[in-house]
Amino acid sequence: MTEPMEKTDGHPEGHRDLPLPMADSWQAACDVYQRAITASEVESKTDPENEPYRSKYRARELLREVRALLAPGAEEESGRQGGSQGDEGDEEEEEEDHGRLQAARLAVIEFRLGVNHTVTEELSAGEEHLVKAVRLLERSRMSPDCVSIYVQAQNELGILWSDRGEIIIAQTYLESAESLYCQYMKKIGKPPTDPDEFFTLEEQTVTEQERAKRSVIHHPPPILLLSNRFGLRFERIYTHTLYYLAQVYQHLKQYDKAAQYCHTTLQRQLEYDGYKPVEWAINAATLSQYYLAKQYYMEARHCLAASTVLFSKAGKIPSPEAAKETDESEQERLDHLRQKKAEIARCWIKYCLNLLADARKQLEDNIGELHVDLQEELKAERKKQEDEKENGRKKAVLFGSSDLYDSILAVEEKVDCSLPLDFKEAREVFSPKEYFELDGHVTDHIEVIQDHSALFKVLAFFEEDYERRCKMHKRRVDMLEPICKELNPQYYLLICRQLQFELADTYYEMMDLKVAIGNKLDEMDSHTIKKINSLAQSAIKFYEMFLDSLRSPDKKFPEKLEDDVLRPALVAKFHIARLYGKLITADVKKQLENMQISLNYYFFVVSYCADHEEAVKSVETELELTKEMVALLPARMERLRMQLSSFS
Amino acid sequence: MLWKDLRLCQHYSTSVSGKVYCSVFAFDHCFWSMDEKNTEKYAGQEVVFKCLGEGILDNAFQGYNACIFAYGQTGSGKSFSMMGTADQPGLIPRLCCALFLRAAEEENDSQTFKVEVSYMEIYNEKVRDLLDPKGNRQSLKVREHKVLGPYVDGLSQLAVTKFEDIESLMSEGNKSRTVAATNMNEESSRSHAVFNIILTQTLFDHQSGNSGERVSKVSLVDLAGSERVSKTGAAGERLKEGSNINKSLTTLGLVISSLADQAAGKGKSKFVPYRDSVLTWLLKDNLGGNSKTAMIATISPAADNYEETLSTLRYADRAKRIVNHAVVNEDPNARVIRELREEVEKLKEQLSQAESMKAPELKEKLEESEKLIRELTITWEEKLRKTEAIAQERQKQLESMGISLQSSGIKVGDDKCYLVNLNADPALNELLVYYLKCHSAAEMRQKHVIAHDCINKVLSKPNTRKCQKQSSFDNEKINIFKKSDLYKSTHTLKKNYITWLSPKSYIELQSK
Repeated sequence: MTEPMEKTDGHPEGHRDLPLPMADSWQAACDVYQRAITASEVESKTDPENEPYRSKYRARELLREVRALLAPGAEEESGRQGGSQGDEGDEEEEEEDHGRLQAARLAVIEFRLGVNHTVTEELSAGEEHLVKAVRLLERSRMSPDCVSIYVQAQNELGILWSDRGEIIIAQTYLESAESLYCQYMKKIGKPPTDPDEFFTLEEQTVTEQERAKRSVIHHPPPILLLSNRFGLRFERIYTHTLYYLAQVYQHLKQYDKAAQYCHTTLQRQLEYDGYKPVEWAINAATLSQYYLAKQYYMEARHCLAASTVLFSKAGKIPSPEAAKETDESEQERLDHLRQKKAEIARCWIKYCLNLLADARKQLEDNIGELHVDLQEELKAERKKQEDEKENGRKKAVLFGSSDLYDSILAVEEKVDCSLPLDFKEAREVFSPKEYFELDGHVTDHIEVIQDHSALFKVLAFFEEDYERRCKMHKRRVDMLEPICKELNPQYYLLICRQLQFELADTYYEMMDLKVAIGNKLDEMDSHTIKKINSLAQSAIKFYEMFLDSLRSPDKKFPEKLEDDVLRPALVAKFHIARLYGKLITADVKKQLENMQISLNYYFFVVSYCADHEEAVKSVETELELTKEMVALLPARMERLRMQLSSFS
Repeated sequence: MLWKDLRLCQHYSTSVSGKVYCSVFAFDHCFWSMDEKNTEKYAGQEVVFKCLGEGILDNAFQGYNACIFAYGQTGSGKSFSMMGTADQPGLIPRLCCALFLRAAEEENDSQTFKVEVSYMEIYNEKVRDLLDPKGNRQSLKVREHKVLGPYVDGLSQLAVTKFEDIESLMSEGNKSRTVAATNMNEESSRSHAVFNIILTQTLFDHQSGNSGERVSKVSLVDLAGSERVSKTGAAGERLKEGSNINKSLTTLGLVISSLADQAAGKGKSKFVPYRDSVLTWLLKDNLGGNSKTAMIATISPAADNYEETLSTLRYADRAKRIVNHAVVNEDPNARVIRELREEVEKLKEQLSQAESMKAPELKEKLEESEKLIRELTITWEEKLRKTEAIAQERQKQLESMGISLQSSGIKVGDDKCYLVNLNADPALNELLVYYLKCHSAAEMRQKHVIAHDCINKVLSKPNTRKCQKQSSFDNEKINIFKKSDLYKSTHTLKKNYITWLSPKSYIELQSK
């Protein structure tokens, strides 16, 4: 790739056959170039606030100087012409090489100038330079000398056009960069020259074999050279292309494609070693949440498994006791690690939760009970699909190099990614996770508990035994009730409402189960009746709490319910009405009382909907039944009253 | 409850391709304060305080939290709006003064007030106490307490009794902020500053001897200058606006989490790890629930600040939509509904059985109660509406008869001729207007005079039963009838016009 340079031996006469300026001026060019890079990359970081671009402007001047040194007085000339100035009568091929090299060098400068103008907010000038760089390389873009600058210039042009709000143009540039990379790797595949390598003096330039041999390189910029080993820098440039395309697709609302490009970006970070393990793990875990929403469980699981494996690479987290002895910054670091670990775990919980919830949705009949026939059907069907699943697996993008891959696979194997079909399978998904104590993190802590409760709830669906199912719901109550009581609604109003509603629903569910159990008996015993009534009362209590939370400071119930609580509030009223209707009592007077209360609640729903038409559509079915109840209950009550009077 | 106060602006820009873009933003308030001399448009500090501060203050005294954000380019008047100058105090001094004033007013032996303040800075996701007397540079931890809400562990909270206290503490804090910035080679405008005023009301109930506390917090947040964030990208990674592409792979996490955020599958629950967390954390309780939040976005009218202005407005517009939506998830009611449906069927059946067993009495009662329910169902508003409708109908009817009814006095068109009723009781006078239909104005004015003449005469002789008046107006006769004859005459004599004089008599104008 740097063939012509290797021929030179450092003596001035060595340049005889090179399209280079005189050795001195070449040395000067390299020198100035390095100074420009230093100004642009290092010194600019300490620029004063009132002159934020001081070093950048200096770098710009230096780059112009290099350009003048390279092609004195002919900066507008094309690379081809510039190449012919050094020598006249040599072989055609060599001349071609010279021309290309000279063009590449000029293109590097134009590219640098383009970036320089772009970052100093001179987009048009920046564009001009970048376009010039692309034009210089157009013919030889597939050569190892040129491909890297070409791709980089296109990346920059993509960003430039996105800054101008022209995302389609940006997309064109970036997709062209993407396809050039692919073509080059397919046809040539040789690690290309990095732009900065053009401007190192010959003794610093090394062949690939030498690079591998030499462990110490004395002259600056050795880091640049080392980092381009095996074309690593080129690979990273392409990773950026993909990352930019991910953003382009996101802006264009092609979310699946955007996710796929993020996924590939992550994968390439692993492959080319440019990542921080913790950050990478969090990103992969976050991506899994995208896949979850789309029900791509296999991809989600792969991301999560990789996340877990990569996180474990970040080092072991010592126990809190051991951690106490370390110094403060270390403690902070460990704290951070613990938090991140918990976050990944929460992503896993969501995975289980969604998987189970989807399985439930697939299996439940129209009233939310397990559909047994369907279950059998699906089990049979799944056998058929087993093979297809293996094929599907191969299609997905897999993370990691071979060593990582095995550990990721091992983590994956512990968790299923197909929808579980019965309780046994469901419980396997729900392998009890480590419990996360989030000291001082009240909301996170509660969210974890809520997820746990949700897991138990969906798991209960698969449980066929009513008693056991009831116990699962009891566990939910035991988790939720204490925090609901302790939490200050001034700060956690919305969470309080969620908890109240969920508790109410859970008690309702338990009552239903008890009724179902009681109905199987010949005669309901007083214990069961008591239990049913107390569960119903608890449910009522929490629905009422929820409704009370809607009241204004002067305790008035709002005339008009806010959108986000409209349906919950009406459903709460509806459920309370229903619960009063379900209370069991032998005392007819008491029964009449309950019915009256029930009627009042039904009546509220009807009259609210009469006054607020917009509410009707949110509770259509409930309203229809409520109206019927409002019409029928009085007659029923009248009959009871007559009964009562005829008995007395 | 969430309300925001920002500017309403329109923006035009010409893109490279020559298209003209227009961005429209809508905000609750828009203050123009460029030139004091333009008194018509100029919104002074007082106006801003009236619009934003008072609501915040009310909320605080009711025991709810409140928060004001300020965001905008350095030099666009952020500090002026928040702090102001000595002779034009801004929102914070006004708020504090009003707070102390009101506390003093409302204080009595059954309620007392206590005001404390804290001041902190958030830089690079680290929290520093700006009021720490020891000048401790250690970063503090953000925590949450189940009763006390989110808090910063170890943050000093100082008691104050007057605005001067607050002022001096604030300037102390600002000094500490500047010092820190210089020491650490960072810019203060890259950090967020949060000033909290904690108002504690102690309510004492003399009868029971119990006392209770009500704590509310007013947070005043100075967000990092917008231009720093975008240019240096240093103060916490942030996603770029609009369609821009983020250059550095360090923002990959942000891209992925925004992707995960928007992928809202139906009924899917997901967890997207927090990024720019500390501030969000601290203000969690301000972005939802009963808290009141105002955001002030300050922008500069200068043309060369166009980009900044646009980005500030976009930011503000986005912030407007950040409400802490913790939605109550309720299950589908399928089972409850099915059960209830069964019960409804059962009740219906019982009812029809009872009917067939012939219980006419019961049916009657049922009908009665149904009617009762129907009446109950009619809400007060509906009743009012009905009443209104009935009144309108009546009026329409009268109008069709040519009589106009007005609730108070009469209103008549200038070009119309009419007769009004007169009554000995002034309260009943001129309540009815009768328009005369087909005559020219001049004619009718004359006629009117005659009618009045006549009326006066009639009034002086109220007992005249039927007085045929000689008319000076050529072909018309004026008759005075008894009221009981009214209907007859309107029906039979279509071209006659009547005016009521008294409950008992009226005038008839008769055309020949």
